[in-house]
Amino acid sequence: MRALLALSRGIDAVTRVIGQAAAWLILVAVLVSAGNAVIRKAFNMSSNSWLELQWYLFGAVFMLCAAWALQRNAHVRIDVITAHLRARTRAWIDLICHLLFLAPFVLLMTWLSWPFFMRSLASGESSSNAGGLILWPAKGLVLLGFIVLIAQTISEIIKRIAHLTGDLPMPAADLGETGGHSTAADGEIAHNA
Amino acid sequence: MLELIAHNLAPIMFISVMGMLLLGYPVALTLAAGGLFFFVIGVALSEISPSEINLFWPLLRAQPERVFGIMSNDTLLAIPFFTFMGLILERSGMAEDLLDTIGQLFGPIRGGLAYAVILVGALLAATTGVVAASVIAMGLISLPIMQRYGYDTSVATGTIAASGTLAQIVPPSLVLIVMADQLGVSVGDMYKGALLPALIITGGYCSYIFVLSFLRPKAVPALPIEDRTLGNGIWSLVVVMVLAVAVYVVSGRTLYADMLPTNRLVAAATTAVVLAYLVAVANRVFGLSVLSKLAEQVVIVLIPPLALIFLVLGTIFLGIATPTEGGAMGAVGALILAIAKRRLDFATLRGAVESTAMLSTFVMFILIGARVFGLTFYGVNGNVWLEELLLGLPGGEYGFLIVVTVVVFILGCFLDFFEIAFILVPLLAPVAQTLGIDLVWFGVILGINLQTSFLTPPFGFSLFYLRSVVPTQDWTDEVTGRRMPAIRTPKIYRGVLPYIALQFAMILLVIGVPSLVTHYQDTPRRPVVPASAPATPSGTQSGGQSGGNSLGLPPLNFGGPGQSGGQSSGGATGGSSQPSMGLPPLDLNGTGGGSGNGAPAQPSMGLPPLDFGGGAPAPAPAPAPETAPETGPSGGIDLSQPPSFN
Repeated sequence: MRALLALSRGIDAVTRVIGQAAAWLILVAVLVSAGNAVIRKAFNMSSNSWLELQWYLFGAVFMLCAAWALQRNAHVRIDVITAHLRARTRAWIDLICHLLFLAPFVLLMTWLSWPFFMRSLASGESSSNAGGLILWPAKGLVLLGFIVLIAQTISEIIKRIAHLTGDLPMPAADLGETGGHSTAADGEIAHNA
Repeated sequence: MLELIAHNLAPIMFISVMGMLLLGYPVALTLAAGGLFFFVIGVALSEISPSEINLFWPLLRAQPERVFGIMSNDTLLAIPFFTFMGLILERSGMAEDLLDTIGQLFGPIRGGLAYAVILVGALLAATTGVVAASVIAMGLISLPIMQRYGYDTSVATGTIAASGTLAQIVPPSLVLIVMADQLGVSVGDMYKGALLPALIITGGYCSYIFVLSFLRPKAVPALPIEDRTLGNGIWSLVVVMVLAVAVYVVSGRTLYADMLPTNRLVAAATTAVVLAYLVAVANRVFGLSVLSKLAEQVVIVLIPPLALIFLVLGTIFLGIATPTEGGAMGAVGALILAIAKRRLDFATLRGAVESTAMLSTFVMFILIGARVFGLTFYGVNGNVWLEELLLGLPGGEYGFLIVVTVVVFILGCFLDFFEIAFILVPLLAPVAQTLGIDLVWFGVILGINLQTSFLTPPFGFSLFYLRSVVPTQDWTDEVTGRRMPAIRTPKIYRGVLPYIALQFAMILLVIGVPSLVTHYQDTPRRPVVPASAPATPSGTQSGGQSGGNSLGLPPLNFGGPGQSGGQSSGGATGGSSQPSMGLPPLDLNGTGGGSGNGAPAQPSMGLPPLDFGGGAPAPAPAPAPETAPETGPSGGIDLSQPPSFN
């Protein structure tokens, strides 16, 4: 168990670093997009590669932050019912769902994204817009995002098991009425404020 | 038994996946898993009911392309931009400044603090668009003051909770962006359509307070004279405003007379506003007494947010910027404002980017999950099932709208608006279109509906936020030294009831008077030139927008009806002309047409691995022209609107 927990901590650290780094791309995207708008208006110029860069950056943000969001329990849940359950029951639900819902999904998506990415890479596919960017790095982000998610899934499964066996303390009741449910409503992520 | 399941797979799938959501596992992942699970079942049962289940293994290979389609969607870029802007503004202390100042401005009249809360709520809504931020700020700042001066607790809490929800309906709200994306209309139109109802709602809130100030004057007292810290001097403010308008008119006629109309408006308004601001700042810095203290303070505090609102909404409405660009400009404006106020440090910035990243990630993953779900759901003819169900309702258009209103309202009590928007709206949109309902009108009705759901006990988010900041124990007011009672939840619930009633009246009003919304159509529109674009075999008119998405497949798109012609014309003809391929609906390209800013055309090989023979996709239609973004927010509307308006 100790080795597994060390593995889980290692994975968490890696996905956190990836997520924290990727989050800054939001700022870059804001600046690029505002710059595009101003240049377009002021000099009547526009470049497809800069326009495409906007969504490249945003795509990188949400694909690479997905695992970190999973780790921080930032994905929205409908906890109308489960908020009333005991922490132990919730941990069981999470464990079973990680195994039956999450694991098949991320494994399948990774397996499907591989040829999707390789085809694009092999053909040197680039955007069909004049002056557009090459496409394979963007497609690679899909693949990379799901690979990181697989790692995080392993870590989450280890942590849930440790919660149930007592190797880790049960997480605080963070699914209460002001937890995941309210985060859903908008941009306010309380524990980050 | 198997036979029965095979023939009713759509309802079984829908109900069981909705049931799975109640497990409390992340929505995005539950939807995806449910979609995959039923995909397997569907393929296994497709032999039994080949006419209803169109699923086969190779279809799975479309999934990465669908994720990629979500990535390359320009409209949804507005979500992180507006969220980021809201978070930065929240940190810049704008809400506090506004509440203090406007409270002083309206304080001397009865109900003044309540008006201030409503107006600040609307102003915050138009800039930050974040419910939690508004409610928490107002709950922390205004509520103690309102309690101190003897406001009725229910009225005070109800007003704060309701004003906070304005962020959901006043442009630029995230709800409207997501709704526009899912309905396949342009975000700019959605904003235009929602503006008038949003103003009416704000006016309705104010009239409620106005009526209350006559019926129960004790519930909404005026500020006592000794607490009017900014003194009197309202005339000074009126003079400033009149002068500013004069500057606007005169400079427009003289200095900028030879500019284009929109540019002239912008230039003249900027001149007037900057001048007023400079006068107020000079008045403060040099201790001049040209202006009263009140006027000085109001001008200094109000102008930055108003300028931001103009920068974002004004440019979108005038067609100068797309909503995505408007969001980016607003975010940069917010950064500049925060720097100017010296409220921006590294920790704040980092908190804002990380919060934005988290929010965007969970929103986009719900969309990804909904797409995975959608591939299967459409494959088992779920859309047909739901459409028949809804078209069978009595009362036609109005019957449909009322049922949808009730259903969304009830769901809104339990689900977040993102789930409703991503799961339900794409299923409802085609039905609405079949009934000839204008989709922007439909979206605004849903938007008001979802706004109301923020207010309804026991699961309204606005109530949660407010409860998280109200005093839960009796407390001693430092200013007056009096003991103040704790605020109990039933008081808050009672306080929001009148506002819920107002919301219902508003929904009925918008249903009854569609022109409140549909006036957006009056803006001049570019003519559609169907013949100029290469037509795909499905008959899609790719009007030079992001034409690359139909791929000669049957009418598409879960998640984003109406890119280009896929919806209006292509959808109708495409479906009937190519039935042989038997593919479930696919949307490979997100909703490029939605905002009209030319999401890059997808490579046509959206489904390379599918080896169905004959109907291989047509060559890639025209790439989005280099100048696609020039079409601005009105560019996409021609094609994505239903052919018939009421």
